Amino acid sequence: MGLFGKLRGKGKAKPHRVVFVGLDGTPYTFLKRLIDEGRAPNAARLAEQGSLLRMDSMWPWVSSVAWSTMMTGVNPAKHNIYGFIDRDAATYKQFIPTSRHMKARTLWEVLSDAGKRVAVINVPVTYPPRQVNGILVGGFLSPNLEKAVYPASYVPTLQSLDYVIDADPWKARESKDLALQEVNAALDARIRTLFYLFDNEEWDYLHVHIMETDRLHHFLWQQMEEDDPDYAPAFYEFHQRIDDMLGKLATKLDDSTTLIWMADHGFCTIKKEIYVNRWLMDHGWLKLRNVPPDRKKGLEEIDPASVAYSLDPGRVVVRLQGREKDGCVAPGAEYEAIRDEIAAAALELRDSDSGEPVFQAAFKREELYHGPYLEQAADLILAPHDGYDPKGPLFKETLTYKGDELVGMHTYDDAMLYVGGRQIPQTRFSVLNVMPTILDLLDVSQPAGLDGASLVS
Amino acid sequence: MEQQGVTIWMTGMSGAGKTALAIPLEAELRKRGLKVERLDGDIVRQSLTRDLGFSKEDRDKNIERITFVAKLLTRNGVAVICSFISPYRMVRANVREEVGSFVEVYCYAPLETLIERDVKGLYKKALAGEIKNFTGVSDPYEAPENPAVTIDSSTETLEESLAKILAKLEQLGYAPPLEEDEAYTAEEEAEIESRLAALGYL
Repeated sequence: MGLFGKLRGKGKAKPHRVVFVGLDGTPYTFLKRLIDEGRAPNAARLAEQGSLLRMDSMWPWVSSVAWSTMMTGVNPAKHNIYGFIDRDAATYKQFIPTSRHMKARTLWEVLSDAGKRVAVINVPVTYPPRQVNGILVGGFLSPNLEKAVYPASYVPTLQSLDYVIDADPWKARESKDLALQEVNAALDARIRTLFYLFDNEEWDYLHVHIMETDRLHHFLWQQMEEDDPDYAPAFYEFHQRIDDMLGKLATKLDDSTTLIWMADHGFCTIKKEIYVNRWLMDHGWLKLRNVPPDRKKGLEEIDPASVAYSLDPGRVVVRLQGREKDGCVAPGAEYEAIRDEIAAAALELRDSDSGEPVFQAAFKREELYHGPYLEQAADLILAPHDGYDPKGPLFKETLTYKGDELVGMHTYDDAMLYVGGRQIPQTRFSVLNVMPTILDLLDVSQPAGLDGASLVS
Repeated sequence: MEQQGVTIWMTGMSGAGKTALAIPLEAELRKRGLKVERLDGDIVRQSLTRDLGFSKEDRDKNIERITFVAKLLTRNGVAVICSFISPYRMVRANVREEVGSFVEVYCYAPLETLIERDVKGLYKKALAGEIKNFTGVSDPYEAPENPAVTIDSSTETLEESLAKILAKLEQLGYAPPLEEDEAYTAEEEAEIESRLAALGYL
């Protein structure tokens, strides 16, 4: 700190800082179990010194939606990110939503405006990087490091740290051993970068996102749950590394720095993947021009007589006149009738083997979202029971599938928030409450229009 | 979409800001992917029309030749930015008729401001009688009656004036709105889609 900083700070409490670790897709109940079984001693100690809380995600519980909600403090109809893939309703061109599509200001921009210095690494949907007072490195949707970093002058520093954008998911699909190798290597880079930034950069808010927990869980959750002798130990070793990281981080904290970690959704083993478009076809709501359809043509393969189709995961779009390309469902009574019909049928759908219901709810979009970008949302959001993973391919031969490559899926009500040094009662809250809480901890006023309240005010 | 050519004709008295606007306008239009040529009084008179003086006849000839060039470029899909005092309505009307796609931009500032500015020292000389037939001093300037855009360099910033011209060109379909770079090249998008497919999101 320079001379003026010292003079200005004299006699005053040190300004608060927050270090935030994103543990993508690490369930609250899983970490509780690790703590109870003595597998996470550092998390156990930190939990006693702060609040480890169960949290709700956001429907649909994919990381792009949950983290967009975390970083903007508003629901999807205000930030406009509804999934990893979306479509232009008028042309049926599909696109990958990026920060360019995000219509709300992010926590790090609000903090930057308030004069806080930020370093934000690897959060989903932050590519292309927006300008901040500090450093921002885009997440796994970044095509390369050169394009992912703001300011560009920080690229060489990251290269010197052997920073990586993401583990290679195709390698991870090849074998469980390769999956472990990939996620551990990426975790190395993430941890190296976290401590480098902690020690060498000036920051008021440091956010490092660990995507590798989510990846590990997608590829190996079932092996962990089944106590697979080959892979369960490696799974726990990976989490031991996370716990070591938290422990090391804790030793570096001073009284003015709050440690937060957060998981955006929970995880469970996939019983079956559910191909929602196949289901819509079986009911006659979706017809394709060609079977099988030409993949390159994407949604253009939808026959104009279709009344609905689905985007991943479980986002059912009604082919509404005036909005959808060649839409054939009249607004008003006909639209509502189709929505009701599909919603009712979804709740009736059962696993043909076990007889268990597949979906726990079929939300009309206005039940979940409110805001100016509601029109981009799907008309129905099918919320599955844990174990039934709704998928978005336009065509599959069968309604369900159980594979051994991707074995874990997300859950809604088992996300997690840890806030160090604060005693926060466990209430039911969601990812919407995280940004207001962080703003409070950093003494930055809440911008208008946030959808959640602070947990520490 | 194929670019439609246009002649953007910037008229106004000396020092009103024609060239000052034409230069950044050229850069802006290039940024939007247009083919652009800039024909400027000071440049043209050193080449295309260096044999001409400033009598009424020579000034008409000057504009006549420029019009011919602008017409050729315009019909070949180029955005031509012409900045000439071009004080006579009849002459400008003739240019409009010849080139077809024509956007008249009137660059204005009050005479007192122009005399005060006197960037090239010409008003002083004209007022002292050293230059004859000087527009605004010893020769008339016929302001456009219905220009597509009027800019006032005594009250507007350069950026404001530029934005007004660009907005009009967009409105008339001669310039596409400025788009941010796409987040991905086609190749990058394919790679990200592949990553999402591997993770089961597509």
